[in-house]
Amino acid sequence: MTTALTLTSGQRPDGVPVLAAAGEIDMSNADAFASALRVAVAGAAAAALLVDLTAVEYLDSSGLATLFQHADRIEVVTGPLLAPLLTVSGLAELTTVRGL
Amino acid sequence: MSGTAAADVFAAGGDVGRDLAAVDWTQTPLGQPEQWPQSLRTAVSILLASRFPMWMTWGPELTFFCNAAYRRDTLGRKYPWALGRSANEVWKEIWGDIGPRIENVLSTGEATWDEGLLLFLERSGYTEETYHTFSYSPLRDDEGALVGMLCVVSEDTKRVIGERRMGTLRDLGSDPSVVRTEQEMLAFTAQQLGKNLKDLPFTLTYLFAEDGRARLASSTGIPAGHPAAPEIASADGPWPVSGPARHESALVELPSAGVGLPTGDWADPPAEALLVPLLRQGGAAYGFLVAALNRYRALDEEYRGFIELTAGHVAAGVASARNYQAQQQRAEELAELDRAKTTFFSNISHEFRTPLTLIIGPLDELRSRAGEDMREDLDVMHRNALRLGKLVNALLDFSRLEAGRMQARYEPVDLAATTADLASVFRSAVERAGLTFDVDCPTLPAEVYIDRGMWEKVVLNLLSNALKFTFDGGIRVAVRAEDGRAVVTVADTGAGVAPEEMPRLFERFHRIENTRSRSNEGSGIGLALVKELVLLHGGTVGAESTAGQGTVFTIILPFGAAHLPADAVVPAADAAAVSATADPFVQEALRWLPSAPDYPIETAVPVPGSAARVLVADDNADMRDYLTRLLRSAGHRVTAVGDGRQALGAARADPPDLVVSDVMMPEMDGLELVAALREDGRTAGVPVLLLSARAGQEAAIEGLEAGADDYLFKPFSAAELLARVRANVELARMRNHHARWRTALVESLQEAFFVCDEEGAVIEINAAFTDILGYGPEGLPYRGVPPWWPDAETDADAFAEVAAALESLTHDQHGTYTIPVNHRDGHRLWAAATFTGVHDPETGRRVIVGTFRDVTDEHYAIQRESAVASLSLRLSEAEDLPGALGGALAELRGLWHATYASATVFDGSPVPVFDATDASLTWDGLPQRRRDTITGLVGGPPLTPVSERDAGAGIAFGHPDGTMVVWLELGDRRPFTEQDKTLLALLAGHLGQALRRVHQIDQQRETALALQRAILGPAQLPAGFAVRYEPATRPLKVGGDWYDTVTLPDGRIGIVVGDCVGHGLPAATVMGQLRSACRALLLQDTGPARTLMALDRFAALLPGATCATVFCGVLDPATGRLVYSSAGHPPPIAAQADGAIELLDQGRSRPLAIRPTMDRDEAEYRMEPRTTLLLYTDGLVERRRQPLTEGIDAATDAVRLGRSTPIDELATEVMDRLAPDGGYDDDVALLLYRQPGPLELEFPAEAARLAPVRTALRGWLERCAIDPVTIQNVLVAAGEACANAIEHGHRDTAGKIQLRAIATAEDLRLTVVDNGRWLTPRPAENPYRGRGLMLMKAFMHHVTVTTGIAGTTIDMQARIVP
Repeated sequence: MTTALTLTSGQRPDGVPVLAAAGEIDMSNADAFASALRVAVAGAAAAALLVDLTAVEYLDSSGLATLFQHADRIEVVTGPLLAPLLTVSGLAELTTVRGL
Repeated sequence: MSGTAAADVFAAGGDVGRDLAAVDWTQTPLGQPEQWPQSLRTAVSILLASRFPMWMTWGPELTFFCNAAYRRDTLGRKYPWALGRSANEVWKEIWGDIGPRIENVLSTGEATWDEGLLLFLERSGYTEETYHTFSYSPLRDDEGALVGMLCVVSEDTKRVIGERRMGTLRDLGSDPSVVRTEQEMLAFTAQQLGKNLKDLPFTLTYLFAEDGRARLASSTGIPAGHPAAPEIASADGPWPVSGPARHESALVELPSAGVGLPTGDWADPPAEALLVPLLRQGGAAYGFLVAALNRYRALDEEYRGFIELTAGHVAAGVASARNYQAQQQRAEELAELDRAKTTFFSNISHEFRTPLTLIIGPLDELRSRAGEDMREDLDVMHRNALRLGKLVNALLDFSRLEAGRMQARYEPVDLAATTADLASVFRSAVERAGLTFDVDCPTLPAEVYIDRGMWEKVVLNLLSNALKFTFDGGIRVAVRAEDGRAVVTVADTGAGVAPEEMPRLFERFHRIENTRSRSNEGSGIGLALVKELVLLHGGTVGAESTAGQGTVFTIILPFGAAHLPADAVVPAADAAAVSATADPFVQEALRWLPSAPDYPIETAVPVPGSAARVLVADDNADMRDYLTRLLRSAGHRVTAVGDGRQALGAARADPPDLVVSDVMMPEMDGLELVAALREDGRTAGVPVLLLSARAGQEAAIEGLEAGADDYLFKPFSAAELLARVRANVELARMRNHHARWRTALVESLQEAFFVCDEEGAVIEINAAFTDILGYGPEGLPYRGVPPWWPDAETDADAFAEVAAALESLTHDQHGTYTIPVNHRDGHRLWAAATFTGVHDPETGRRVIVGTFRDVTDEHYAIQRESAVASLSLRLSEAEDLPGALGGALAELRGLWHATYASATVFDGSPVPVFDATDASLTWDGLPQRRRDTITGLVGGPPLTPVSERDAGAGIAFGHPDGTMVVWLELGDRRPFTEQDKTLLALLAGHLGQALRRVHQIDQQRETALALQRAILGPAQLPAGFAVRYEPATRPLKVGGDWYDTVTLPDGRIGIVVGDCVGHGLPAATVMGQLRSACRALLLQDTGPARTLMALDRFAALLPGATCATVFCGVLDPATGRLVYSSAGHPPPIAAQADGAIELLDQGRSRPLAIRPTMDRDEAEYRMEPRTTLLLYTDGLVERRRQPLTEGIDAATDAVRLGRSTPIDELATEVMDRLAPDGGYDDDVALLLYRQPGPLELEFPAEAARLAPVRTALRGWLERCAIDPVTIQNVLVAAGEACANAIEHGHRDTAGKIQLRAIATAEDLRLTVVDNGRWLTPRPAENPYRGRGLMLMKAFMHHVTVTTGIAGTTIDMQARIVP
């Protein structure tokens, strides 16, 4: 059994590609998150992929690692819950994190 | 009484044991001896086995026991009535004195010590003054509670009273040796008697006056003019005077009321008085002494003896004073007599001649006719008449010469022939003396004019003188002409004259003393007369002498008559033969010489009663004979000797009753004899009567000063001599009272008395000395190391102690020591000795006078007391059985300086359990002989010490595991005495009792722990709880406190803390039942109030459960809601996270089973998150002399301060903080809970488990009221820790991970444990993983990773923001 996680790829009305995650990301489903992110980044062509984590209730270092791998191709949107984590981990310095 | 147990208890007690066995113990609170606790049985065994006086009480009514020694010394008529009775009944009369002491012992457990306490006992049929030195020590029962008292007592009555009386007698004897008048003596005596108003409440001294009436001479303790002390006592009263007059003592009953008699030092007046005659040696009593008697002492032999000695002293004092008075009177009379005698002599000496002539003439006549029977007496009379005549003639010559009336008739003679004739008269006497006699008288060229009579006297005096002083060699008489004059020399080879005496040689009445001579007779006028007579002849006389070689007298006379008055010159008469003048000279000289026994020893017929053994010393044989005959005729036994030296020898060989001695004797004179006799202890008391021809007061005083007892001047009458002899023999006894008094005093001392001379030899001892040490006067003197000293080799320590005491005497004047000595039969004694160095007033030598008393009992009592005390201390310090035994053995070894002390327990196993102070010793390592000795003790009677010569001593007694033998290896260093045995038995008894007690404590500790495990609380506590149970510290006891938690089916938890009344296993049993009942009720979900009400009914039926207090609550850990009810229990304390305190004091009501039908209330308390709840029993907060609230406040503070401490640590902290000094004296149960309880999760190391773990942790954190941000941070940190555990710890094998989280008021603690090997992060290999640890450190305040072989533990802490 893996941890509950819903990943939705799409575009915002303004055409920005979006990968929205909802649920929790830990080492049990980090691979799934990583695959989805890889596909989404590839699909986003030159544009920066917007990774929407506002509905993620938990993110651990394995999820973080995936984000770091694609740090120069993504922008992250977060809610207050993950904000400290993204700041502390240093991701905010490598990529644009909104919602901090 | 048939039980064996009873027989055992009393077996060692002899008669007392039998009488104790006969007591109907069922009538006492102690019940049948078979059912007595071991501690009582042990105490009674020790008591009965001891030879030292002891008694004890046991139980609530202070039931009385005693042993044989106590019965003998103290109990008196109360035995056997006292046995088994209440001590306050037995000692009702002194309960005021001893009751508080006993009460003190029983309430504090501290021993008492009293020395020489005065107690008025009713044990002999009257109120008795008694003194006791005693110690009360506590006795404990099997459970260590104070239940009795043991008294070790040594009765001092005899010593205290004896010392008091001796003090009075000593003071009476302290009389300075100056003789006093009767008044002074009586005043002195009264002063001394007045100091002892205990033994002599009052005294009256009556003396019989000449009219026979008894007059009051002195009194003590009674005012003058008191009706009981009239000036005159007569037959009419108040005192029966007739008894004393007949030399009888009389006991008089005193009126009990009305008279108002003085009470002395007591509260009540005396009831009796003793009348004792003041005895006079051989005469009517001087009077009598009335001694009022101490009503608190029986008139026993000692008391009577004391009063008689006192009266004896008064009588001796009266005798001494009256004797002194008589002596003074006699001295005055003698002086008067002497004056008269002098006048008489000078006036009428010439009158002697006629009577002398008339005596001598008829005597000659008689002698010629007398038969042999008369002849001897007549010869004596004749010789002495001649001697008297000679003396009278010489005196008359002198008076004539002085008066110038000497009528000389000078006629021409052949001086040589005349002189030779005169000399020849002496030849036989000289030759009989063994001397050569050389007469060389050639005819002179001219005639010399002489008065023949005078010349005879000149020559005879010189010859007599020469013979008297010459013992060897010879005498030479020569006549020659020289320078126209005649020279006559008389030379001897005798004693000679010292140069300083030469000038006075011819002085009248001058006698040369201290010169060896044949006789001390002589008037000192011989040579003076010679000189006067020669001068009358116009000649000169001179002497040359060398002491020790001889003397030459030279007379020079002119030839012719030109120098003489013409009218005195007469023609030559017929050459007459030597005149009668010569006869007395020769007769006298012959008497000086040794002869055949001229005083034959007659077998005297002693006259019974008055016969005395008299030694006569006189150089004059006639006088010697005369005295001998005279004294024998009076019935005395007489030994006669010729000079002082022989007298001294005879007196020393066999001291006579009286010495009669002439003053002037050759060799040693009378005064020297007296001095020598007085110097020798054997003869110092022999009276001496001096006889002397030298009259006058000075001579008498000289004699008396020398120590003579009486002085008699010649001539004396036979009757006077005999009277004086008799008086002196009797008087001597009286005068010797000083010595006899001293002897009586010394002998009556209860303390041993001794005198050592300068060399340290013991030269005098008294009867008490012999009583105490067994060495008698027959061994005197004891020289060198006395036989009672401890042996220097086998008992070196004791020897050194004595030697040190003696050594200190060489530089100190006096000292007091307690030293060990040995009785003649070998047993060890302790003596308290007092030594004083004094100068013997008579000899001037330094002697040591000492007294000592036997303090063995006191010594050992003190030793025992301190030994028991230090053993008890050792035992009380012991934590367990081995500790107690080890301490006790060390103590025993030290006490006896043993090589080692061992304890062997025969518990039935093949090899006994062996312990020794020397850890290297083993049972198998002991010599076979020792093993046999120790094994041999097992079968013997318990608590009976056995010693083996040159080996040691042992004792067997009961041990919890069997029989224990304690053995002291003493080697051959010292004997093991009876006292040692008593002490060993006493200590072994204590040890046995203590071991049993310690063993019980051991057992109780085990029981307590087992109980704690078995019934106190659940085996597994729900999470979040911490509990403690602490038994009371000393003595360790289980109690009735408990705590309990019950997890109900719905997850709620029942919480119970309770406290049953009482201690010990009964209370624990009740507690167990209540606890079980309460638990069952809670499981039925009845709610706290209803549970307690059901418990009320249950407790009402359960003996011992009434009044238990219980707090019962039901907690929902999910919500923190606590419903509770309290049955009289102290309120639980709740400390919220912010430090606010709340006491759970609602829903409170009476303790259990009080009004069991009434309802109980319930209350609710909602525990805020991270609130800490403390439930406890009163032992935690209740302190003596403190309100309960103080204890609760202290507990509150402890909880408030510890609200951030993990719950289990806090439980320890609270117990420590609140523990009184010395530990809890009541048992304590404590229960702590903090809401919510900890989160404890265990899950497989799989990634899929992480989400549910997070959910659980989040829920718990929310219950802890943690803010969402912190929750998220904690979740991340915990997630990383778990992920790492999965990643690193279990990459290869599947394992388990444990997560534990606890919250305190101010922080969170998380622990993640895996049992794998957590690898050091390797960022190069797996860079993103290194981020996990970083995140943990970022979100938690403190992270510790501990990696070990068994796995890895991550500890994380986060502070909670309020």
